Amino acid sequence: MALIDDAARSWAAREHPVFEFEVGRNDIARYARAIGSEDARHYDRAAAREAGYADVLAPTTFPYAIRMHAATLVAPDRLEVDGSPTADVPPLDTRRAMAGETTIELGAPIVAGDVITVRKRVADLYEKEGRSGPMAFVVMEFVFTNQRDEVVATERFTRIYR
Amino acid sequence: MIRPIAGDEAPITTRRPGAVDLFMFSGASWLLHRIHYDAPFTVEHEGHPGLLIHGPLQGVYLVGVAESWLGELARLESISYRHSGPAFLGDELQCGGRVITVDDKGVDLELWARKQDGTLTTSGRARMTWLS
Repeated sequence: MALIDDAARSWAAREHPVFEFEVGRNDIARYARAIGSEDARHYDRAAAREAGYADVLAPTTFPYAIRMHAATLVAPDRLEVDGSPTADVPPLDTRRAMAGETTIELGAPIVAGDVITVRKRVADLYEKEGRSGPMAFVVMEFVFTNQRDEVVATERFTRIYR
Repeated sequence: MIRPIAGDEAPITTRRPGAVDLFMFSGASWLLHRIHYDAPFTVEHEGHPGLLIHGPLQGVYLVGVAESWLGELARLESISYRHSGPAFLGDELQCGGRVITVDDKGVDLELWARKQDGTLTTSGRARMTWLS
């Protein structure tokens, strides 16, 4: 039985709001502490400048925090009971979701003072027959650009529903 | 530091995130999924034995293996990873990496995180480009 129907296809084709994240020094410091980094370039402007950056440098994986804010910095009535954003839940007759592959390509570094725009789309939606029945694959793509329109990161993230 | 050759292995990094670490990663990322900070919900409603270590936090650990090992020589250009099993609060993750190939422009790495009993939880590949 097919999982992906017209409702799921139109869910995948819908436009997502563009999200802007103004990167502050405290955002960077908080995230750097959260991942246990001791790298002075994330905390100390002088150390970052000495390393050739205009201001404190965001950790490599910081785009993830930006795209999570884009998804979940919403009113409480737009969250599911488990805390996940309702807008990201596809209309599929499935019981379980699992994380699939994540691919991140990095461009220009992100520093404090940058304004990062994240554009999101469902890049692919397909299904495969698994051992326990059909599985649907949702591939989300996030493109992150800075105020100079340089791409700072591109992420593709697959979620599997069965 | 000299450039690595195929087969070279990164020093193993041991990570054993506590409840505060899990909460900080959820908070700093604004990742609201309850299975990372609400133990009763996670056990009673989702049927897990305990709080889950975030998949993206394990991705951070893999990036950390590559950067702390070769960051003086090269910059991370891309990484891809997938999860093969859950890791829970209390688990100790051994994070490692190995050089697959080296060329004029950079290096390809294999990266992984394993539990204390050897079970693979996250594995991936990364490409780093030489700084000069």
